[in-house]
Amino acid sequence: MEKPSRILIIDDEEIVLGSCLAVLEGGGHEVATAPDGTAGLRKAREFAPDLVLVDLMMPGLSGFEVLEGLCGIDPTIVTIVITGYSTVESAVEAMKRGAFDFLPKPFTPDELRLIVRRGVERRRLVLEAITLRREKEMLQRNFAAIISHELRSPLSAVQQNLFVLTAELEAVLDESQKGRLERLKTRIGDLLKMIQGWLRAVSVSEGTIGGDFTVVSVPAAVANAIESVQPHATRKDIAITDSTPASLPPVLGDETILTEALINLIGNAVKYTHAGGKVAVGAVVEAGQVAVSVADTGIGIAAEDVSSVFDAFYRGKLGPDAEAGCGLGLALTRRIIEAHHGTISVESEIGRGTTFTVRLPVHAAESTSPPGEAPAATSTRDPGGPR
Amino acid sequence: MSERKQLLMIDDDPDFVDGIKSILTAAQYDVDVAHNPKDGFAALQKKKYDLLLLDIMMGRGAEGVMIARKMSRDPKLREIPVLIMTGIREQIAFLFGSQALHPHFVEVDELMEKPVEPRLLLERIEALLKAAGDRANEKK
Repeated sequence: MEKPSRILIIDDEEIVLGSCLAVLEGGGHEVATAPDGTAGLRKAREFAPDLVLVDLMMPGLSGFEVLEGLCGIDPTIVTIVITGYSTVESAVEAMKRGAFDFLPKPFTPDELRLIVRRGVERRRLVLEAITLRREKEMLQRNFAAIISHELRSPLSAVQQNLFVLTAELEAVLDESQKGRLERLKTRIGDLLKMIQGWLRAVSVSEGTIGGDFTVVSVPAAVANAIESVQPHATRKDIAITDSTPASLPPVLGDETILTEALINLIGNAVKYTHAGGKVAVGAVVEAGQVAVSVADTGIGIAAEDVSSVFDAFYRGKLGPDAEAGCGLGLALTRRIIEAHHGTISVESEIGRGTTFTVRLPVHAAESTSPPGEAPAATSTRDPGGPR
Repeated sequence: MSERKQLLMIDDDPDFVDGIKSILTAAQYDVDVAHNPKDGFAALQKKKYDLLLLDIMMGRGAEGVMIARKMSRDPKLREIPVLIMTGIREQIAFLFGSQALHPHFVEVDELMEKPVEPRLLLERIEALLKAAGDRANEKK
């Protein structure tokens, strides 16, 4: 059962109100009335009508003013004007200003019922259109996340079972069979990572980050990032050192995503460094910015390639152990840093190593200015303190 | 010889559930499964579990989060360690945007990303059960 539609009638003639009430009540409607514009608008606020019938000629607030007021309360309310002496001009004027239709007095009960039915239908369509538009926006906004979840779920289930089968069939399978199982796992794992990379790229480029920045501790983010890359470094016998001072001032940002950017940089450093090499992470404060550097002793980037490392889908000459990547890491990292009002730069020498430096504005606790303006406000205070 | 630990798994993906269940059963755990949040919560109230494995994205959204929240308001269920298994660790931030949703919804929980290495899963479960056991002993 549909819920009854709510109709408000604003008219100074009691006889009109009374007869409208008589005609409409019992027709599945809830009806309220008001004797003038001011009372009508007050009523509209509490009654939340679907449809309002407004007499154009009333003492006090004019019908036009009432129409305007109703639009201010809720622009989706459908309005129908009642014109006392059937002047087409004022009815047309009212419709120009957003009224849905007009009803010339005197009208028959059937005319009233018909116009109300059409008005209520109109309201339903208006609301439906709004709901659909909202759903569409919602879908667009979360498209990447939804798609990613839909793609990842089945792959995760497959991978999970491969993990389990590997363990359960340990004693049964021969080496070649085990090898194929391993390759299956690697392929699925790469797919999962690729989906994740795309999702991040889309999320960052859609500008979905930035709305909910909080105060982020840089040393903690660096430590988390290193922890996440550590297993890979350990496997390759690469030492990661962290000289980030604990006294570093905080920055404003999204901790998860900032950490992600650091993971990309440190992970890249490990990826493009020969076994036994070193990756040094450190940070300083300079000119109101926290500068985090990730330096490796890796293969380096040729001078002609340095300018394109931040382009999407650029991939360095294969790393020493030919590790795979989707070519989005650095492009993504730059977008993340820029979304945090920071900059990223690179210095490299072939055969000697590469240093990436991320600069983020220091967040001053008492400052209310947006993060983009923070450096000017803080540069005079030397927030770094003694180091 | 201690009796077998009772685990409940709430996850709407039967294939994923089978994989996990196989690991846990081999490790001498008793595993019950619920394929939706409603059955899952009903199971929690019917039987005493030592640990819950919970999926986040079920049904029309993050319904797993609702379970974790409901549990944290219940004085008995609050004691059960919750291991969240999700395919969406990074996406949580994207999905929920400004809504405060930290991965650590419940005091004693742990979050693992799908798929999970069997050995790692067993380690985490063992650690959670041990921590819960220690807490229970302290109370006595």
